[in-house]
Amino acid sequence: MPREIITIQAGQCGNNVGSQFWQQLCQEHGISQDGNLEDFATEGGDRKDVFFYQSDDTRYIPRAILIDLEPRVINSIQTGPYKNIYNPENFFIGQHGMGAGNNWAAGYAAGESVQEEVFDMIDREADGSDSLEGFMLLHSIGGGTGSGLGSFLLERMNDRFPKKLMQTYSVFPDSATGDVVVNPYNSLLAMRRLTQNADSVVVLDNGALTRIAADRLHVQEPSFQQTNQLVSTVMSASTTTLRYPGYMHNDLVGIIASLIPTPRCHFLMTAYTPFTGDNVDQAKTVRKTTVLDVMRRLLQPKNRMVSITPSKSSCYLSILNIIQGEADPTDVHKSLLRIRERRLATFIPWGPASIQVALTKKSPYLQNVHRVSGLMLANHTSVATLFKRIVVQYEKMRKRNAFLEQYKKEAPFAEGLGEFDEAKEVVTGLIGEYEAAERDDYLDPEMGKERAESS
Amino acid sequence: MASSFSRASNRRSANISGTRSRLSTSLAEDYVETPPHYEDVPPKEYEESMDDRNTERTSKLLRRDLSTTERRNEKRSVVTREKLVRRSPVKDSSNAGNRLDDGRQRDVVESPKFRRKQRDTEEPTSPWSPQATLVPHSSAPLATRISAPPVSSVAPKTLLPKPFQDMPMQEQESVLLDDLLYVFMGYEGQYVRFTDSYNPTEDKAKLAGPDFRILPGLDPSLKDLATSMLRMATHYSAMEAFVEAQSREEFGSVSHALCAAIRKLLKDYLILVAQLEMKVISDQSFTLHQMHLHVIPTAQSLAHLYALAQELLKKNSLLEEDLDDSIDDFDDADNILERLREGGDLLPGSMTKKGCIGGNVLALLTQRLEAYSGDPAARTLLEMLLREASRPYVNMLNEWLHHGGIKDPHSEFLIGERSGIKRERMDEDYTDEYWEKRYYIRDREVPTQLEAVKEKILLAGKYLNVVRECGGVNISKKITNIPQTFSDPQFLDNVNTAYSHANSSLLSLLLTENSLRSRLRSLKHYFFLDRAEFFLYFLELSSSELRKPNKSVNIGKLQSLLDLVLRQPGSIAAADPFKEDVRVKMNEISLTQWLMKIVMVQGIDQDNQDSIVERYQATPAPSVTKEDDKEINGFDALEIDYTVPFPLSLVISRKTVLRYQLLFRYTLALRHLETMLVDCWSEHTKTQSWIHKSSSPRIEIWKRRAWTLRARMLVFVQQMLFFATTEVIEPNWQKLMAKVDEAKAPDDFSDQTSQQEQQPPVLPSSNTTTKTKRTVDELMQDHLDMLDSCMKDLGLTQGKLLKIHAKLMMGCTMFATYTSSLSRSLYAVDPDLTNPNTTTNHTAEPNKTTNTTTTAATTLNAKTSSSNQTPIPNPSATAANANANTESDPSRLVRMDETLKKYEDHFNRHLKILIDSLNYYAATETVVLLGLCARLTAAEVGGNREREAGLL
Repeated sequence: MPREIITIQAGQCGNNVGSQFWQQLCQEHGISQDGNLEDFATEGGDRKDVFFYQSDDTRYIPRAILIDLEPRVINSIQTGPYKNIYNPENFFIGQHGMGAGNNWAAGYAAGESVQEEVFDMIDREADGSDSLEGFMLLHSIGGGTGSGLGSFLLERMNDRFPKKLMQTYSVFPDSATGDVVVNPYNSLLAMRRLTQNADSVVVLDNGALTRIAADRLHVQEPSFQQTNQLVSTVMSASTTTLRYPGYMHNDLVGIIASLIPTPRCHFLMTAYTPFTGDNVDQAKTVRKTTVLDVMRRLLQPKNRMVSITPSKSSCYLSILNIIQGEADPTDVHKSLLRIRERRLATFIPWGPASIQVALTKKSPYLQNVHRVSGLMLANHTSVATLFKRIVVQYEKMRKRNAFLEQYKKEAPFAEGLGEFDEAKEVVTGLIGEYEAAERDDYLDPEMGKERAESS
Repeated sequence: MASSFSRASNRRSANISGTRSRLSTSLAEDYVETPPHYEDVPPKEYEESMDDRNTERTSKLLRRDLSTTERRNEKRSVVTREKLVRRSPVKDSSNAGNRLDDGRQRDVVESPKFRRKQRDTEEPTSPWSPQATLVPHSSAPLATRISAPPVSSVAPKTLLPKPFQDMPMQEQESVLLDDLLYVFMGYEGQYVRFTDSYNPTEDKAKLAGPDFRILPGLDPSLKDLATSMLRMATHYSAMEAFVEAQSREEFGSVSHALCAAIRKLLKDYLILVAQLEMKVISDQSFTLHQMHLHVIPTAQSLAHLYALAQELLKKNSLLEEDLDDSIDDFDDADNILERLREGGDLLPGSMTKKGCIGGNVLALLTQRLEAYSGDPAARTLLEMLLREASRPYVNMLNEWLHHGGIKDPHSEFLIGERSGIKRERMDEDYTDEYWEKRYYIRDREVPTQLEAVKEKILLAGKYLNVVRECGGVNISKKITNIPQTFSDPQFLDNVNTAYSHANSSLLSLLLTENSLRSRLRSLKHYFFLDRAEFFLYFLELSSSELRKPNKSVNIGKLQSLLDLVLRQPGSIAAADPFKEDVRVKMNEISLTQWLMKIVMVQGIDQDNQDSIVERYQATPAPSVTKEDDKEINGFDALEIDYTVPFPLSLVISRKTVLRYQLLFRYTLALRHLETMLVDCWSEHTKTQSWIHKSSSPRIEIWKRRAWTLRARMLVFVQQMLFFATTEVIEPNWQKLMAKVDEAKAPDDFSDQTSQQEQQPPVLPSSNTTTKTKRTVDELMQDHLDMLDSCMKDLGLTQGKLLKIHAKLMMGCTMFATYTSSLSRSLYAVDPDLTNPNTTTNHTAEPNKTTNTTTTAATTLNAKTSSSNQTPIPNPSATAANANANTESDPSRLVRMDETLKKYEDHFNRHLKILIDSLNYYAATETVVLLGLCARLTAAEVGGNREREAGLL
């Protein structure tokens, strides 16, 4: 079926998130744990073919490739409840079972050795689809495999599939706690690839995820599983328009194209509401989910899944609200007017400034307490502050030359640490791009100058 | 003498049967046989000789008369012929077949002696030989065929009776009584005669009834009494004539029934006359006064009948010509055409004659009944007449209501049928002719009783016809227990129940057996693309084909591609049971042109939009001007067609499919443009020349502007599409479905299977009858309204909006199309990329690059100048030759700047115009546009600001 999307999950985080994601999709499409359709799921009006294909025995198999250099997470998937749905040929575990040790360089270097096998899988999946739309890469950028190997894959994919869309769901490390010391190094290096080789990056910030999980789910110390659930919810919500086709937004590229006006500013942040955990009862009852309510909440900083510190001048490049459930178009219209009146969202001064809305239905198979739920995909200039933080942290460490020894051992740094400088230059350029986009004179600096002089 | 009396009574009884032949035949008889003189028979004896046996016989004969005419005719025919030969040999041949009248002459034959006429034949020198002739067959089977006898005024003076002056009062009274008995039956007596002005051969005079005059010399007291009774005689004669006239074939079965009822009354009247005769004969003390008392009630009845008859005749223009009505007939052009089609004539006479039959007769009766409702006698009379007259009509009504059939040879039923309109023609029927025009109400034929329910009656039969054509009604089924006349109290109930039965059976036929809901869903699926995935794939697969100009597109290939897409397992379309009905078509005209034609025509002939559409469909592109003659490519020409089987094609008629197609093409254009802009985005995101960060800030700025313009266009298109689908089409469609659900009877929920998981099965509710159901016609109207309001809300009915919209779309399309050439230009101008050290692979085509840039600019120029802009000097004219690639960088960059500027200006200006006109039309036409307006304005805040900044 047309417009297939192949999911590549790299590293520990990527695979954890991925397994949650597939579990979520299976539930939404009524696919049982062995890949067969549930009896009740015959008339869903859904398109499973975007993310699944059907094997000869009509089971649904995810178009997923699971890559990790260490076996732990993948093993747990292979023994988990949904072990049977995956194509066993699509698992790849590093030969020695040795991880990348949170070292970007190690992961990147491992890419060279494993690429043949990995690209075999990717090619096989790509050939198996009629009209491949693109790839989704799930990874974190703070670690070794997801960050390093992920970066390697991004680079190579661009060469191999130059016309295909490359979207990533990238989990950024929690800058406050920093469970891995070399986070900034890994992040910066991966950021360069995300900037140059990905078409769209959905930024998910571990810090924000933890905060939301703690706030919304009323859990003191959210587990990875809970934060991963948040991510998988966001992922499934952002692909509902593909899986439950409506009038519009039926392909990924259409969604992304409207969100990313200028190619370089392609880092998207998300917000989702309402979140509820299964164990939280009080959150379920007090909510009133109207379209306006949902859309307003989506614009609130506390629901953002990225920890950013917007400045006064920061603004939205674009917003797409995906509203699921029983939404009345007139409500949507009213809400948009209200939001505009109250100036809840400021937009770039030089381009189109509208909140796009996509209305989709919810999965009929999931019991959902909320009438309406919403996901916001937004392109906001303040995402640059996140990058700035990475750069600042990187510079701090780089000044002290801390932990560089491990990197120097690996191939990319065999000829020196130029890789770091290049990456920093790219990221700084990106930050500059975002800052420029906040200004009136983005399109015409000279005109801006004249105006400044005249005023 | 006794025998003579008995003969007389025989004769009279024979005359009662309604002939006018007394005078002529008897005179003829008398002449030949020379019977004794009248004077020979004194009235005394006449009365004395009357015996009971005779009277008995008279009345017996009377009763048998009508019913046994046939039988007797057989018996008498031989004698009669003999007789006739004797009398008038010339007429022999024509008389041979004339059976009906023979019976009436039998008494003449049997009783050759005639007492009264003998007197008239006193003078053999000038024999008066009145003759009766046979009139040709009329279409009234029971009408007399003997011509009217000569009136007495033309009889020779010698035949005059003894004048009244010579008689005593008592004798006067007795001859008068005897005379009156004849007069009551419509004949002239000796003393009571027609007035001179009366001409019995003239139809109009006959229908108006003869006036009688009494010969002078009568005692005034008798005269007054007699005169008052004469009116009754006049009425009777008029009624006789009326019955004969109105039972002609062309007056229709209602008139026939009415005549039959009147005939019965007349028979009773004759019985009364017979009884009077008996009294006159048997009771010597019977006086004129007594007679008068006896006839008063009957006289009143007859007066009523007469008045009714006069009114009817006037309506039928049989009494006097009034041509006023005939002019109105020409309003009903359809009827005239229909009659022509049926081979009828169009003479004005035939039109006016149609005046008062069928329903009108009933209406007239009802009207009179209302007018005389205070008069119990008249009321009973009229009620009886109405009851009888309505029988055939109610039969027709029942046939129509319960079987959907029309058995109406005289076109008197309130429903007419145009059999020329066949349902086979529905495929090319853009005006719903079959449904709207096949059956129609003859507005002038509607009886008062049915006036309130005529629409229901029309619909009931119409629905039944549809159901019957689908084999849903058992026609042989005998409907019992239905009212037979108008006066039945169940009458209106019958109409109502029949109507609701027909309505519900058609609704269930449509909704349940033909699953209208799934059909509508499927239509929405294909035309509104509510789940557009399959179609996007189709567009992708067939893009190479669709890029060609529309004439060279291979439709067969497209069809197979569409079939392929629709049958893809896993696609939602694959589950649609009606996917076989979808066809790919290529229209020859672009949507905008088509709509513009419709819009422009609307100004002249707003009411007849449909026919214009139809005409347009029939002859595509009749007058395409040169500039319009631009080849449209496959994407613009693509449309789909959808075939619907019969009963559903009533609701989903060609008329609606046409609207679906218009909407489809509108959204398709938006979708296609969206895809193109998204492709353009991919190019911008993927191509090295775009994402490469150039060292030249000027190029960077240029790129930003191009990106922004593309983003704005994309937002514009997506906003338009969102508005069209989510805010216009979907809500309208939901409204329609709500109405369909409403129409769905609560007791059938078999269609639920197709939507089972969306909503839990509905429990059958107990109140199935109380709910007012919607009619199929309302449903059809709702469907059409839905489509029309979609078109209106999308601004497809406003020429100005269409033009602006088309221009914007064209601008965006041009921009998207030339993106690839722009990216090649970028390679050429960007010093980083043209440097062979950095990139080598792209500099190989600088020549081509320049060319394409110029073409892009030229085309845009052409376009802008065509849209009434001041022509911009063509940059290609001043452009440096293509061989200079690195040297001409600055100039080329200038040119690229200019090109982009032109796109920007074009987009800005037209978007502004669009928003302004949307604002205008939102205020004047439809509020929904305001939503779009708000959207676009919101999306354009940045653009506006930029423009303001540009103005500063």
